[in-house]
Amino acid sequence: MSNRAFAGAAVVALLLVTTACGSKQAPEAGGDSGRLVLGASLSLTGATAKEGILTREGYEVCTKVVNDKGGVAAGGTKYQLEIRFQDDTSKADVSAQLVDQYNDQGVKLILGPYGSGPTDAVAAVVERNGQVMADSAGADNKIFAKGYRRSFAVLSPATSYVASIVQAINDLATPKPKTFAFISADDGFSKTATQGGISKAKELGFEVIAEEYVPNQTTDVSSALTKIKPKNPDVILGSVHLSEGIAIVKQSKELGVRPTGGFGETVAPPIPDFVKTLAGSAEGVLGSTQWTPKTAGSERFFGSATDYAATFKTQFGGRDPVYHNAEATAACLALVLAVEKAGSTDPDKVRDALAALDTPSFFGPIKFTPEGMNVTKQMAVIQIQNGKAVPVWPADSAEAPLKWPATA
Amino acid sequence: MAQFLQATVYGLLQGGLLALIAVGFSLVWGVMNVVNLSHGAFVLAGAYVALQLHDAVGLDPFVSMVPAALLLFGFGYVVQRYLVNLVVNGPIFITLLLTFGLELVLVNLMLYLFTADHQSIPTGYAEGSLVLPGDVRIPYGRLIAALLALALTVALVYVMRRTRTGLSILATGMDRGAARLMGIKARHVYALTFGIAAAMAGAAGAAVGAVSTFSPADAGRFTLFSFVASVLGGLGNMWGALYGGLVLGLVQAWGGQLLPGTLVNAVAFAVLVLVLAFRPQGIAGKPFYASRLEV
Repeated sequence: MSNRAFAGAAVVALLLVTTACGSKQAPEAGGDSGRLVLGASLSLTGATAKEGILTREGYEVCTKVVNDKGGVAAGGTKYQLEIRFQDDTSKADVSAQLVDQYNDQGVKLILGPYGSGPTDAVAAVVERNGQVMADSAGADNKIFAKGYRRSFAVLSPATSYVASIVQAINDLATPKPKTFAFISADDGFSKTATQGGISKAKELGFEVIAEEYVPNQTTDVSSALTKIKPKNPDVILGSVHLSEGIAIVKQSKELGVRPTGGFGETVAPPIPDFVKTLAGSAEGVLGSTQWTPKTAGSERFFGSATDYAATFKTQFGGRDPVYHNAEATAACLALVLAVEKAGSTDPDKVRDALAALDTPSFFGPIKFTPEGMNVTKQMAVIQIQNGKAVPVWPADSAEAPLKWPATA
Repeated sequence: MAQFLQATVYGLLQGGLLALIAVGFSLVWGVMNVVNLSHGAFVLAGAYVALQLHDAVGLDPFVSMVPAALLLFGFGYVVQRYLVNLVVNGPIFITLLLTFGLELVLVNLMLYLFTADHQSIPTGYAEGSLVLPGDVRIPYGRLIAALLALALTVALVYVMRRTRTGLSILATGMDRGAARLMGIKARHVYALTFGIAAAMAGAAGAAVGAVSTFSPADAGRFTLFSFVASVLGGLGNMWGALYGGLVLGLVQAWGGQLLPGTLVNAVAFAVLVLVLAFRPQGIAGKPFYASRLEV
């Protein structure tokens, strides 16, 4: 027993020593080295590894394009862009620790992690340390209701995810459905998105006949579906991530749940895995998306949305970008533009420049409210048609008309 | 009523799948007193083997259970013989650490080889259902998986109780010293046990691929379900995992009907706590095996 205690103490001591050695290094980011270093903690393993890796790809496109175009010009110096990545294993607390470590290393400009949970945790750390974060994938409105002044989200807030699908159905569907059932994951982002959708549905005169919650990231939503089935909703809307989103369609088929209109889901349908795993069952499902290759706007680094799609395709072996890639690149772009506008890499000056940013881009307009949200940008709605995510709403960026009823 | 019946049927089928996932975990824990935290990674490995076979030669995932099981048997045997065996006499803490480390290595290897993409193995029939009166549905894929769980459990019971190999495994689990005095090679028996468990995990993985989706991130979830099913069912009894899986499936299904859906997991763990409080050896377990847990 004493041996074990000794071994335990030795391990703890060793850990403490290594941690101490790793912290409080001299700042190295900034102008003197000619490099602009950004830090990102991402879910490269764990529950949201898929989305985390998509986010990293978006950041990588940004590095390549910005450096190929000569880097970031600020205060008479050209900086080469460098992004450091660390794996937060899909855990919010780890994400926050990693961003704290970036601060110790002098990295003050942060690119957001994947998901609202980690972004919320990181935002608190960023605020305390005087860092600045360009948030690429944390959409929960609650993050921006805490009075933070140093976190800026390029993406549309959570409340518009389900609401945009409801609006699209209202605008485009004939015959118009009457009743909606909502299935939501129980994380903050999904719940906020659901509430946004329910408010919009009621505002537009639809009847909400069910509101069911399932555990976040589950692959079994059978309980919610069994409860919804006897109510025969016209449309089932899921405020979910990929795994719950696939489960809703897959298990609805198993359980004979067939809404007369169809399914709509946040986040999942635009990700290629959705069509790949569901094959024919994915047909007709509606999805909300932060970006499509038809999004209007352009600037000098990435050009238009179509240009961005072509750039991404070249860098990633012919693969089309999804919105997770685009929103990551857009967050990086926002920081780059802010540094150029500030003419400095000083975090306070970059923060002020970011707050004042008002620019069109391949991702749509980037402009922040005093809370740090981008409400100028509109979300788009896609529908899976012939195995592809096709933009159907809003009208000015639609590629094809809505197929309705969506269930084949 | 139809709603409750549907929830019950689906819960039982889901429980069958959980039992299939858990049976190998329970075996290794019962015989070797090793809580194999890499079990979920073995299940995933089976799913990826089935996926590769499907993509390469179009093999049905339920048929792929056989090659997946064989491959995983070999892998499990080697891992036990040359890795886990090094610490099998150590405190349970050390085996936990080793198998946890092995899980990390395997999951990251799969992440590297197969990416973090969500996968499933398409079949023409798995999502189809047998329709009973009241529109109660029995999905074919899940029915096959549950029946296979039952068949594999029966086979395991037969092997353990009726064959020389099985008896030597049980004997080694009860008293390794005495078994060795009887001429049983404990090292080989342990490797064989681990191999059988890995084979069952591999077969379960192929079934998971047919009825659900999987990605490397699911390893932890499979291990957790196996742990709960094994403890619920009890160690030292080959039926334990089946009982545990079915109870877990039913509790989740009923819990989901009577309570808000987000409490499903909380209900499952509450039942686990209750069983541990009032029947520490589990539903069908033997107190001898439960008592060893305090190592």
